[in-house]
Amino acid sequence: MSTVIHTENLTKTYESAFGGQDVHALKSMSFEVQSGEIFGYLGPNGSGKTTTIKMLLGLIFPTSGKIRILGSEDITSNHIRMNIGYLPEGAYYPDFLRGEEILKYYGQLYGLSGADLRNRIDAVIDLVGMSHARKRLMRGYSKGMRQRIGLAQALISDPKILILDEPTTGLDPIARKEIRDILARLRDEGKTLMISSHELMEVELISNRISIIYEGDMKVHGTIDELLVDREVVVEVTDLDEPGAKQLEERGLTLEDAISGRARVRVPEGMDVYNAIEICRSAGARIGSIAPRRETLEELFVRVVGGASRAKAEKAA
Amino acid sequence: MSAENAALNAPSKGISPKQLFIGPWTIAVFTWRESIRKKTMVGFLILSLLVIFGATVMTSMMQQDTVGSAAAAGPLETQTKLIKDICVSAISIFGALITIFISASVVPSEIENKVIYTVLSKPVRRLQYLIGKFVGVQLTVLLNLVLMGGLFFIALWAREGMPPTLLLWAMLLMFFEFLILSAFTFAISCTSSSSVLPTIAGLFIYITGNLTEYLKDVSVRAEHGTSMEQLVGQLAQILYNILPNLQNFSLKNDIVQGMVNDPPPFEIIPNLIVYSLIFSAIGFCLSYVIFLRKEL
Repeated sequence: MSTVIHTENLTKTYESAFGGQDVHALKSMSFEVQSGEIFGYLGPNGSGKTTTIKMLLGLIFPTSGKIRILGSEDITSNHIRMNIGYLPEGAYYPDFLRGEEILKYYGQLYGLSGADLRNRIDAVIDLVGMSHARKRLMRGYSKGMRQRIGLAQALISDPKILILDEPTTGLDPIARKEIRDILARLRDEGKTLMISSHELMEVELISNRISIIYEGDMKVHGTIDELLVDREVVVEVTDLDEPGAKQLEERGLTLEDAISGRARVRVPEGMDVYNAIEICRSAGARIGSIAPRRETLEELFVRVVGGASRAKAEKAA
Repeated sequence: MSAENAALNAPSKGISPKQLFIGPWTIAVFTWRESIRKKTMVGFLILSLLVIFGATVMTSMMQQDTVGSAAAAGPLETQTKLIKDICVSAISIFGALITIFISASVVPSEIENKVIYTVLSKPVRRLQYLIGKFVGVQLTVLLNLVLMGGLFFIALWAREGMPPTLLLWAMLLMFFEFLILSAFTFAISCTSSSSVLPTIAGLFIYITGNLTEYLKDVSVRAEHGTSMEQLVGQLAQILYNILPNLQNFSLKNDIVQGMVNDPPPFEIIPNLIVYSLIFSAIGFCLSYVIFLRKEL
């Protein structure tokens, strides 16, 4: 595996024009994206995700730091641009154009023409599953269809790297699944994908590695398997009455999905599992099953971002 | 391997020299196609065509009422002058409004709807993008002038019984006048992510560009005034020297007062075209300097 995107101490500061406070959008951000992986770039709103992406694309300029893409620091060179496909969040495509006309326009910007262009349009339109609607005007497209055409325009030059900003936001579950499948297929074909998203479940399902950033700072960086470890044990119980449930909570156990005497009891990190089982039994519950439970990406995100947010509030106080 | 897979797995090639020109031209055609569908522009165009059509038809009806009267020749000439005055003014004003509106909005609207990100992340240099946008605007302005001027040309030909060739020269000069207006409005639009400020600036340029003779007048009158008046006079003189004189491009008086097939003032036309190209080049270079390091 080789490094396709490398950032080193990437910093972006927006200076205030009238003596106000400078905005530090990105603070010494360093990360790498390896070839053939899906890299999830996560963070709450205003954390610096889009700023990073815009810098990678040469749309805005770093205050300091380095960017290397495919080994080159000249990230706006035609060679690099030919190898990057970009899908911005909520991009607009003119209503008066047909799906394939949009792709023709973007293909021409890559210098494609004639049979090459037609073949590429056929290939990407088929890849994103839009062959049936290629001649339809954009105004007749659903949000999911527009997003698929957006993905197709990012793929029109057959780039090695795809940078996608919120590719599934606002889509219904079926459209989300379809886009996710396309992205997984692209990864399997050897493309490198960098995805910025709020849809944590989607990212967890398809990403190899993730970074979580908060207020321009890298908080967590690593593979999904490294970061989402088995942190808890869950005990499924039955025959649990109300006083019994209260007793469990008093002894430090957390109940989930409690209904009709059934419940999932989360054993917190640090508590002995046998001790937890004994507490359940003493509360009158019957043990159904005991299983380790992996932390979800959403829980990791909330823990990391929530922790950073609390630390900031405490510092301010 | 199927054709589709072959296409998907095709190696990414570098950019060809041909692409240096195809990129801007592709953007220009796209801009033109988009601009001619803008509701405001279509509205201005329809309004201008209605004014030209209305003025011609209404005065023709008035002409029929006066036929047979002893003094018919007098009013007929006056009516023709009136039609020419209204129509040339309408073409000039609506043409300028369309030019300002389109020049002020093509770049900010692409920033607002994020299309610019998808274009500039492709192998398209910022200069190529600007050239494409600017050429696209000029194609739109040209189309409008052809439509408005064409309608008036036909109406005047039908009325006068001879081709109004002077009108063609007037249209040509009007295009070069709008080129200056467009270049500076376009430059201001590159500083902004909204089209409001550049539109206001474009109107300001159009108005002051047509009033530069008054600036000269102010500077002459202020020569023997108080120190404050002299200061204002100097300022007016500086503005007179800097601002393009758009009034130079007007052949309205020649059209209204003379015959429709009179020869144009050939001696000044090449000078005016060069004058326009120099100012437009300055305006465009300004837009490039602004846009080169613009954070999008």
